[in-house]
Order: sequence, then C-alpha cells, then structure tokens
Amino acid sequence: MRFLHPIIVVAISIGAAILAAVIGNDYYLRIGFMMCVYYLCAAGMNVLVGYAGQKSLGQAGLFAAGAYGAALLSTSFDLNAWVALAVGAVIAGICGVLIAWPSLRVKGPYLAMVTLAFGIVVEKLVSEWIEVFGGAQGIYGIKPLSLGGVPFTMLHWVWFGIALGLVTHLLLRNLLSGRYGRAFLSLQADEIAAESVGVRVYRYKILAFVIAAVTCGVAGAMVAQQNQYLNSDFISFQLSIFILLLVLFGGSGSLYGPLIGAVSLTLIDALLARWPPVQHFAYGGLLLFGLYAMPNGVAGLFSRFFTKKARPVPVAQKQSSPPPTRRDENRSRPLLEVSSVSKNFGGVRPATDVTFRLQHGHVHALIGPNGAGKSTMINMISGVLTPSSGRIAFLGDEIGGLESHGICRRGVGRTFQNLRLFASLSVLENVLLGQHCRMKNGFWTSLLALPQARREEAAANARATAILDTLGLRELTHVPAGSLPYGLQRRVELARALATEPQLLLLDEPAAGLNPQETAELGKLIVQISKLGITILMVEHHMDLVMSISDHVIVLDYGIKIAEGTPGVVQCDKRVIEAYLGAEAA
Amino acid sequence: MLIALLQAVASGLAVGGAYALIALGFSITFTTTKTLNFSHGDFVSVGSFVGVTVLWLLLGKPINAPLVGVTLSVWQQLLAAVITVVVIGLIGVMLYFLAVKPFAGKPGMSWVMSTIGFGIILTSIGLAVWGPSQIVVPSPVGDDVIRIAGVGIRPQEILMFVVAIVVMAALDWVMQRTIMGKAMRAVAHDQRVASLMGINVTAVMVGAFFLSSALAGLSGFLIAPIASASLYVGLSIALKGFSGAIIGGLSNPRGCVLGGFALGLLESLVNLWQAQWREIVVFLLVILVLAVRPHGLLGLRTVEKV
Repeated sequence: MRFLHPIIVVAISIGAAILAAVIGNDYYLRIGFMMCVYYLCAAGMNVLVGYAGQKSLGQAGLFAAGAYGAALLSTSFDLNAWVALAVGAVIAGICGVLIAWPSLRVKGPYLAMVTLAFGIVVEKLVSEWIEVFGGAQGIYGIKPLSLGGVPFTMLHWVWFGIALGLVTHLLLRNLLSGRYGRAFLSLQADEIAAESVGVRVYRYKILAFVIAAVTCGVAGAMVAQQNQYLNSDFISFQLSIFILLLVLFGGSGSLYGPLIGAVSLTLIDALLARWPPVQHFAYGGLLLFGLYAMPNGVAGLFSRFFTKKARPVPVAQKQSSPPPTRRDENRSRPLLEVSSVSKNFGGVRPATDVTFRLQHGHVHALIGPNGAGKSTMINMISGVLTPSSGRIAFLGDEIGGLESHGICRRGVGRTFQNLRLFASLSVLENVLLGQHCRMKNGFWTSLLALPQARREEAAANARATAILDTLGLRELTHVPAGSLPYGLQRRVELARALATEPQLLLLDEPAAGLNPQETAELGKLIVQISKLGITILMVEHHMDLVMSISDHVIVLDYGIKIAEGTPGVVQCDKRVIEAYLGAEAA
Repeated sequence: MLIALLQAVASGLAVGGAYALIALGFSITFTTTKTLNFSHGDFVSVGSFVGVTVLWLLLGKPINAPLVGVTLSVWQQLLAAVITVVVIGLIGVMLYFLAVKPFAGKPGMSWVMSTIGFGIILTSIGLAVWGPSQIVVPSPVGDDVIRIAGVGIRPQEILMFVVAIVVMAALDWVMQRTIMGKAMRAVAHDQRVASLMGINVTAVMVGAFFLSSALAGLSGFLIAPIASASLYVGLSIALKGFSGAIIGGLSNPRGCVLGGFALGLLESLVNLWQAQWREIVVFLLVILVLAVRPHGLLGLRTVEKV
C-alpha cells in the first residue's frame, strides 16, 4: 500500500512523457514545458501559502533570482549549465531567507507589503542595473542544459520538467504528510499555540519561504536556460500575482491543487494568448470571482469525491498502555523555583516580587481574584511573556525569557485560558502536534521518507492514540477539533499538552465554561494525571475543585503573593478572605 | 546645491500630497473593514481619465482630443473634480459589494486577489475606452512656473499640496468630532459591539469604501496635470501611497498622512542623487522599517491576550 501512490504518480508521469513524445509539435511542447515550470513554482508556493499560511506577493523576485543566477553564471563565469541550474536554486534559496527575515514579525497586510516591496526591488534592480543584468536588452547566449554535449531539444525539456515535477511532488508529499506538514499547518492556525507545543515558529516560517524560493528559483533558471535569453520583461508584478493565483485557483493546502492550477491556467493562458484584452479580462474575472465560487480552489470542488469516509475507530479495550511520561531522573532538584519575579506593563504590575516553589508530583493551584496576575504568571513560566526581573528555574536551569518552544522541550506543557486548538486539524493531528518536539526525524529524513521518519511517525501515533484512550477521546480521533463541543475541546487541549510529555503541566482555568458534572470529571482526570508523576500548576476559579484536589495553594492579589499553603491553611488566612470578600468595616 | 535641494523638497511635498491622499484611503478601509483595496492604483489612473473625459464632454470635444492650449473656466474644473470624485467613489462601492464583502472577516486574504482582479477588469475597460496613450492635461491654475527664491514651482503642485492638506484636515475633524466619524471609529474598533449599539455596520463600510475610492479619484484628478493622465502610472503611485500608509502605520490615519508626505520627500531627494535608484531605495526602506517596527512607525501595536 505504501508504494501505491508513488507507482500511480510515476505511471502518470511516464504517460505524460510518452504523450509529449507522440505530439512532437514544438508549440504544444512549449505549453507542456510551461506547465511543468508553473507546477514547480506552485508546488513550493503551496507550502508557503497553503500550509504555512503566509501570503507572498513577491514571488517573481525569487523567480528572477534563479533565472538571473543561472544566466549570469553560465555567461559571465562560463559555468556548466547543470551547475548553473543548481547554483541558481541555491541563490534563490538564499534570497528566500532574505525575504523571510523581515517577514517573521509582520503579519497580514504588512507581510503582503514586505513581499510585494521585495518583488518590486528585484524587478527594478534587473531593469535598471543594466551593467550587470542587461535591463530590457537582456542577456543572450545562456547555455542550455545538455546531455553528453548535445543540448536539450524541446522534448527533452518537457521530459526534464516532468521528471523534476515528479520528484518535487514525491518529496513534498513525504515532507507534508508527517511532522513537518503538521508543523506548517499549526503555524497557519495559531502561532502562539504552535510555540507552546514546541514548534519553532520562526524556523518553520523560514523553511517555508526557502522551499517556495528554491522551487521558484529552479523554475526561473529553467526558463532562462530553455530560452537561452533573459531580459527584465520576464520579471513583473503580474508574474507574482500569477504564481499566487496558480495556488489559490488550483486549491491551496491540497497536494494536487498546484498541479490543477498549473495545468489549467497554462492552458487558459495559451488559448487566450491571441487576444490580450480577453486574456486580461479572464484573469480579472478569475481573481475576482474564482475564490468566491471556489474558496478551496478547483481541488476543493473535487475533494468531496476524494475524502475517505472517516474510518470507524475501534474503541479501546479497557486501559491500554498508560500515556508516556518522562520521569525526572534526579528528583533532588526542585521542579520549579520562581524567585522574586516581577512583571510590569507600563504602569500595570501583574507580578511584584513573587516567589514560590513547586514540588515534584504535587497538584499546585494558583488562585486569586480577577486581575491578580495568575495568567501572567503562567505566561511567564511558559515563555509567552518575559519577566521584567527575577528568576524562574526549571530543574535548576534558568528558563525566564527563553522562547516557548524551548521551554516546552524541557518539559513544561500548558493549556490556555481561551482555548487555542488548531481548529481545522483533526483531534489526532492536534495531539500529534503535541508530540512534535519529542519526534527526532529532521528535515532531510522527513523529505526522503527514510525509515527513521516512518518509525518516529508510527511511535508518535501510538503515543497519541494512548493519550486519546486515556482521555476517552478515541472515537473522535478524525473529527476536526474546532467542530467539537466546548467541553470536549478543553479535553483535546489537555490531551495535546500531555502529548508534549511534560514534567510540569500548566493549566490556565481548565474548568472555565464547564458544567458541574464536567468539572467533577476534570477533577478526577487531573488527579489521574498527577498520579502518572506529572506535576500540575493550575489557575482556577472553581474553589470546590481547587480545594478538593490540590496539595498546595498559592494566592495572588494585585500581583503580590498574599498566602500559600495547604487548602485548609489558605482557606483560613485572613488576607485571603479579605481579598475575596473585602475587609470588614472597622 | 541649496536651490536644487529646495526644489526637490517642493516637488516632494506636492507628490507627497497625492501619496498622502492615497495612504489615507488605505487607512480608512483598513480600520473599518480590515481589508485594503489592492487595485487602488487603477482607481487613481481611471480617476484621471474620468476627470479628463468630463472636460472633453464640457468642451464638446471627442475623446482623446488634445487639450493643450485650451482654457477652462473654474466652474468647469470644479464640476469635473466633483464628478470624478463621485464616479470613482461609486466604483468603490461596487468594489465593496463584488470583491470585499464576500471575503471580509474571513481568514486568509482572499480579498487581496479579488480586489486585484477588480482592478485588472477596471483597467481593461479603461483601455478599451481611452486606449493606452498618455494625455497631457492642462492645469486649472495655469502652467506658468512660479519662482520663489530661485525655486521653480508649478501652480498645480501648490494646489495639490493645499487641497491634500485641506481635505485631510477636514476628514480628521469629521472622524474626531462628528457622530458619523465616531460611528466609523466604533466599527473600526469592534464591528460586533458597534452593531449592537445600533450602528449600521454595512452602511459604514460602504461609506468607507466610497470615501477611500473618492480620495483615490481626487488624487488622480489632481496629479493628472503634473504627471499627465495614463492608465499605467496608477500602480506605481498607489504602491508608494501604500508604502506611505504602511510606514506610518495603517491603523493610524494621521500616521498614514505623514508617511505619505515622508515618502514623497524621500523619493524626491533620492531622485536628486540617482533617478533610477529611486524606487529601489524607497521599497528597501519600507522593508527595513517593517522589519524593525512591524506595525509601522506610528501604528498601534496590537498585543494579543493569551
């Protein structure tokens, strides 16, 4: 079964190659070649747009990087065409890093502006810096690819394009169907949640930009080498729009969308080439109404026929293996020490000189009236916020100010006050993302689908399933998390946090919005989790829950720790009563 | 040297006025609907042509007749300006219903593509009506260069600057002081709450697109005598207006206006040094500014509550 897909795809490619050989007409072959070129652009762009959720309006700049890179290397430096193609791709990849760097912090329209500006800078550079890039005059005599000294004919180019497209498809499929694909999707859905499960958001964004850059660069280099000529007219804002349209029209986030987009738009382009005004109108119409009629592109129209019926999942027999936990080898070090931590946002001080210590295996509760700084404390421990001063040590190591994904990796899991699930992903995928930072398969291993990648994926699946069993979510494995009722969503988020294999689990109001029965069940669940050796720190307002299951309670008021101790001690504390009920009039 | 510098500052401020009007238009739709009109440039260039067409009609001349040496009365010019502003504003309303409303508030940025598509169609129609040629448009305030301390300024440039300032001051007053402006700002802050307070959110959004497009039309009308009317200049003017808005911070209308002027000045000063590097420097600067300040220089940082 595992080889069924590659066999089918290879067969289709061979069919296309034979078809090309039969046709033999240069005009049609050229259309076929452009389909391959645009498929390459779209396939990489799909990773960026469809998976990582980053819109780029400057893809022509990366196309140019590859095209001019290959062109100049083979004309000015007399490099072999194959080497020039490869180096062109590398140059485009480097430009991808350059464009990704300012894009890391900006979002939405600002991101659109950065990428658009990049595209225009490159466009102007190649048209104005005539000494190097030749401007509108262009560069002649670019060496084409050749085999055994014989330059490629048009048919060879089509074959080469099909082969390259095939390889790109298979590699990207390997990458996107596992750990990396999930990570890209998670940062499209919610960057903060992605960080909290250990996804290095910055790194994955850069990676997505680089993948899109490399495929566009290769496409550009192929166009330059096939034409043996390149000028600044090849690079335009329209090309950037066209590349984005390929993905959106075909269906972003679908593995076949880019192929559909490339084939159909190249055909439309060729059919209408004789009537430029009609062509313009057609593009305008596609852009204007295409996404309205088909929000998920052409692939989205067909997905109905392709989606498999959700497989019925066998309900687990009573108690399968317990979910995995990582026990600390060395319990002599305190689990978490918060010493003199303060935080101020301008004049507001949600934490002032707070000090406490968490014990291995205990259930700790952090309580206090609204605005006491409880969530701020959770956010500082989990790396969402940086403390203004003070020290947070996890197992003796300073973690204050580290990035969330690093803290998660060290063994601190968390849930959020206002649920932050990856709504469009299935319950299983959410939990698998929890396993993200525990999986060891790297980029190349995943790209090439080496045995390690498959082993890791299987292991992660087994662990995720075990967790779903424990939390009674097994039947919901393939349901989109966002479609579940609220109480179950809370549970899925807990499952995701458990999947990060934490030693310390931070729960930010886990019972918020739950009915009394659900709250009671949650209480049992928390005790159960704690028995697995996971230490818990929860922020909670339900006093019944807090008092019945905690070993130790910390009380904050206006950012100051006013009491701590066993539930009994805290309940009798005069300052706690004052904070909650107000002081008696003197 | 000093005179050249002053000259650059003067023309930079004039072009900056056009950029500022466009930037303000971006800010208006962004704050109310969280969307932008990526075909703003086409609105600017079509605005120039609508204005010229009204002049042709008033003079009883055929389309594409040369306008050089024709004298125009003040009321003719004013009428042309008003009609341009209204027509482009109405096209903006059309844009809202066709390209923005179906996608506003939904995840993803489908409106980027749909507004670009609308612009392509608009330009195609424009090409069919007016053809691809440039039209030299006479200025309503005369084309004699005025010399102040050795610096030559065209009256149209002064007009551009003055009108931009007046329009923006008026809009600022409307936004801050009138109930209409308050309704717009309420919608900008939170659509749902505004709707609960009885504000007709759709009407406000339609109004925002009308206003934003009308500003594009006005800048097109005003810039035509300086740069001559062409269907191809819109994109680059609007991109710079957009850059101005982004640099200033989309969420802050005053910041956008300042950004527009700053960009005009910068462009004009770089032009003094190396004309062909103008755009490269400007857009590199935009990237740099955003890399350092992701919400623009004067934009509000939105802090996401976790």
